[in-house]
Amino acid sequence: MIVPGAMSLTDRFLELLGLDPSTAGPLLVFGVSILAAGLVGSFVLLNTAFAGPYAKRKITASFTDRISVNRIGPAGIGTIVVDSVRLLSKELIIPEDADRPAYDLAPIVLAGSALLAFAVIPMGSGIQLADPEIGLAYVFAIASIASLGLLMAGYASNNKYSFLGGLRAVAQNIAYEIPLVLTGASVVIFAGTLQLGNVTTPDTIVGAQQATLFTIGSISIPSWFGFINPFAFALFMAANLAEVGRNPFDIPEAPTEIVAGYQTEYSSVYFVLFYLGEFIHIFLGGAIIATLFLGGPAGPVLPGIVWFTIKIWGVFLLTQWARSAVPRVRIDQLIQIGWKGMLVLSLANLLLTAVIVGVIA
Amino acid sequence: MSNPWIAIGALALVGVLIPLGMMSVSALLRPSVPEDSKRASYESGEVPTGNTRIRFNIQYYMVALLFVVFDIETVLIFPWTVIYGDAVDAVGLGPALLPMVAFIGILAVGLAWAWRNGAVRWIRSPRAQQELTE
Repeated sequence: MIVPGAMSLTDRFLELLGLDPSTAGPLLVFGVSILAAGLVGSFVLLNTAFAGPYAKRKITASFTDRISVNRIGPAGIGTIVVDSVRLLSKELIIPEDADRPAYDLAPIVLAGSALLAFAVIPMGSGIQLADPEIGLAYVFAIASIASLGLLMAGYASNNKYSFLGGLRAVAQNIAYEIPLVLTGASVVIFAGTLQLGNVTTPDTIVGAQQATLFTIGSISIPSWFGFINPFAFALFMAANLAEVGRNPFDIPEAPTEIVAGYQTEYSSVYFVLFYLGEFIHIFLGGAIIATLFLGGPAGPVLPGIVWFTIKIWGVFLLTQWARSAVPRVRIDQLIQIGWKGMLVLSLANLLLTAVIVGVIA
Repeated sequence: MSNPWIAIGALALVGVLIPLGMMSVSALLRPSVPEDSKRASYESGEVPTGNTRIRFNIQYYMVALLFVVFDIETVLIFPWTVIYGDAVDAVGLGPALLPMVAFIGILAVGLAWAWRNGAVRWIRSPRAQQELTE
């Protein structure tokens, strides 16, 4: 069953320019798409720029009862600009015997792949770059390219800490990828399609979550998948923490054990790219959670894009909370939690969801 | 409606251009003071010893094999999840659900077997074991 998707951002741009999306040539569409992609990329980078050098510090500081950055600009907001310039103007030191092409490519792979997955995410207010039929499979496929970047960085650095960090990153990703994807599949059972869609298209993942679940007085509760199956939601949140490498699953970096893991030998702009890629990845995790479990950009009164931003920042706050409050698990515990706990739970969740949906339908 | 993959290709281009742009800005800003000792690999300030690319037990070799099995399994589960709702309407709950229960059951048996044989257990290296018993 092919569902006509909601109007993509590219089509909107084409219409703004007075062109017909169905007849425009591929080269023209590509040119206009770059504008649209630039808008999506800027939105993601804006969030990341605010989160990385500023919000993260402020949040961690309030957890540990400190003040943190407060010198430049109101409430220290100017730190974002100052830190960007400072990090970009650092000397780039490349370790001896580094595996050159891989060493240079790893930061690009990490940052680029995280950004690429945002292509199909509906961000509300009509901002959705593209809406292919296999949207969800695409998101999971692209999001897992990052572990390739981490392994490349770990191996190419020719540093023992980096190497261990890279291998740990792979161990973690393969242990939590399956529970993550299987829990995502349980949402597909409910929606009956892989297309992410938008609030206005009922036969898509986001659209299916807009129906009313039940009403309390005059307030109607939408059937967000997080409400229908809270168990899947909790499982996905936990697997997502492992996927983005935040406590209790931050063993690929583990500053007290292996210095900085895969990024030990990276300095200057390469370090910025790693840091950026990591934060884009956290927001990507938030975006996937918002899309699958929290009704995408839906919400009362405020426009969609605002709700979407609130939701991804909510997930970001949660990862930072976990980072400050939860101790790290050991690597052997991590493998065991992943393979003996989460995998079994996610298989159970899949069958449970199938029974629930089957009985209701 | 334009082809969505063109737009995704455009984002791929933007996703590569942003890092490259940052790299070129940095290349203009940063100093370059080459010196041999700077380039030594970092080992907490000590003189680096030995080679990094040695053979050692990565501990999760069996787990990686298991991952391949389960990864292919998820690929096979996805088409079922997409048609499941329609299948229940067409043929009823039992015929739509039970084959997948059997499929996942076989995998669960496989996982239980690997679990029992210690494939997902963290193995001590012979040397660590020896140090522990001494």
